Amino acid sequence: MTASKPATRSKNMAGPLLRGGEIAVAACEAIQEDNPEKQVVIEDHRTYVRVEAEGGLIIRRKTMEEILGRPFRMQELEVNLTGFSGQIETDENYMRWYLKLDL
Amino acid sequence: MALLDRSEWYDVARATNWTPRYVTETDLFPPDLSDPFGLPMTAWEAFDEPYKVSYREYVKVQREKDSNAYSVKAALSRSKYYDSADEGYLSLLKLHYGAVSLTEYQACQAQGRMSRFSKAPGMRNTATFGMMDEMRHTQLQLFFPHELLARDRQFDWAHEAAHTKNWAVLGGRHTMDDIMMTRDAITTSIMLSFAFETGLTNLQMVGLASDSEAMGDFTFSNMITSIQSDEARHAQLGTPSIEILIKNGKKAEAQKALDISFWRVWRLFAILTGIPMDYYIPLKNRHMSFKEFMHEWVIKQFARQLSDIGLEKPWYWDLFLDDIENHHHCQQGGIWSWRPTVWWNPPGAVGPKERAWLEQKYPGWNDSYGRYWDVITGNLLDGHEEKTHPNCIPVICNMCQIPVSNRPGPKWKARVYQLDYQGKRFNFCTPVCKWIFEQEPERYKDFETIVDRMFSGVIDPPTLPQVLIYMGIGVVSNGGRDGYDYSWVDGHRKQAAE
Repeated sequence: MTASKPATRSKNMAGPLLRGGEIAVAACEAIQEDNPEKQVVIEDHRTYVRVEAEGGLIIRRKTMEEILGRPFRMQELEVNLTGFSGQIETDENYMRWYLKLDL
Repeated sequence: MALLDRSEWYDVARATNWTPRYVTETDLFPPDLSDPFGLPMTAWEAFDEPYKVSYREYVKVQREKDSNAYSVKAALSRSKYYDSADEGYLSLLKLHYGAVSLTEYQACQAQGRMSRFSKAPGMRNTATFGMMDEMRHTQLQLFFPHELLARDRQFDWAHEAAHTKNWAVLGGRHTMDDIMMTRDAITTSIMLSFAFETGLTNLQMVGLASDSEAMGDFTFSNMITSIQSDEARHAQLGTPSIEILIKNGKKAEAQKALDISFWRVWRLFAILTGIPMDYYIPLKNRHMSFKEFMHEWVIKQFARQLSDIGLEKPWYWDLFLDDIENHHHCQQGGIWSWRPTVWWNPPGAVGPKERAWLEQKYPGWNDSYGRYWDVITGNLLDGHEEKTHPNCIPVICNMCQIPVSNRPGPKWKARVYQLDYQGKRFNFCTPVCKWIFEQEPERYKDFETIVDRMFSGVIDPPTLPQVLIYMGIGVVSNGGRDGYDYSWVDGHRKQAAE
């Protein structure tokens, strides 16, 4: 995964904080794939990777299965999900981080 | 056999608000334990936990987390990391385990209260998992330090701290009793799940993990980030509570619960996380300053969540921003000076290079906190170690139980905020601690600070040796000394010689 950091960040960034591991690496890839219209910002802080984008992000089970090459239950992401910015929505086919208000 | 997707059965399985026939609804859910705000049952049935999990998924995921944490520990214990670990870093671990391990166990009870007394079935469900999470955290954080006991008796505080009346423990207990042990289910979900777990646990469990990884202690960093992955889930039960209260005209009540608990937990975490991050971690291994972490995690991330769910920043936000620049620097000075009273060996660790770093991260440090350390450094260089031990008793805040202090130097800010109530004078460190007391004086007025206990006859005779025994020092283990045996002064000695 590559780290990028814009000079300024908006007030509407949301997304997961992942700790290292196979699933986290796959999740970073899946998030880029599942959010093609977004500029995904990935910040590496050693024990966690902050993944965010303006207005939030989504990750889909199907994409994770393609990347991992095995069945994947969305809940497995929890093993590496140490936190997130914004609010969360969980479903068996996706996980989504978002903000209600646009500031 | 194909299993139904969770969303196909979840709402039905969770609809457990049956109509009581043998007892009244008030007997089933007494307001003091359940909902003192008086919202109807149907209002709470709208509670929809954003982070859903089924029991089947829970067991599978938790098993994986545990097997990872314990196997990393087992694999790395052969490396004998702790035999040559930095003494300042070991102090970080001792402080962490003493303050956290059994607090997690207490949190089981708070989660248990929510899982029994909440009128919201979704909260009861989420808190049941939360209760099991906290049990896991207790087990991990008792088991991991246990192997270090043979090496260093001070690690015994992981289990013993909560059973002592050490001043630092009293401070932690007073706060935790206030926000999670003695509140109804709904208030607990705001104070514990939202203010504490969503707002501040990240600092210790993720922020500090980055530093411990830099120290090469993968066992610890892996274990605490594993814990935080539980917190990230069960902390979410606070959000729907707040949204339901706001929707039903109780925003002021929710805001007040947030304002009280956020401040109370902040005052503790500045000590628990702030001091180790800016003083105990060796300079070359520091990742970010405590202030930088606060800006990333709290001022940006948490404050943004606050506005998104419809609450305001606490009324004392400006005081809080100022406290980020001061509180932990004050307490580093205080804890180091009264080092025989704590169960770890706090390093002074303010050599010339560390001071330059502190000045860079906290402009003005040299002209304020630096002056305090100038006197100490001078005494150590002159061979007067005895002068670094204060012979006075600090004034303790009647709310947070922490010594009253603030910025020293030309821009002196230390002062006590007083209140006379029922013939007794109460001292507070800040307008916020005083405000919390004023919200419910009857709740707080009878608690004696450690210094009150010296005057009221509880600690008898009120002498330093007796105080130390009362606090468990020399009983559970020996008290603290300078973590580096004053070697950090050497840089100043060299400078003076040049």
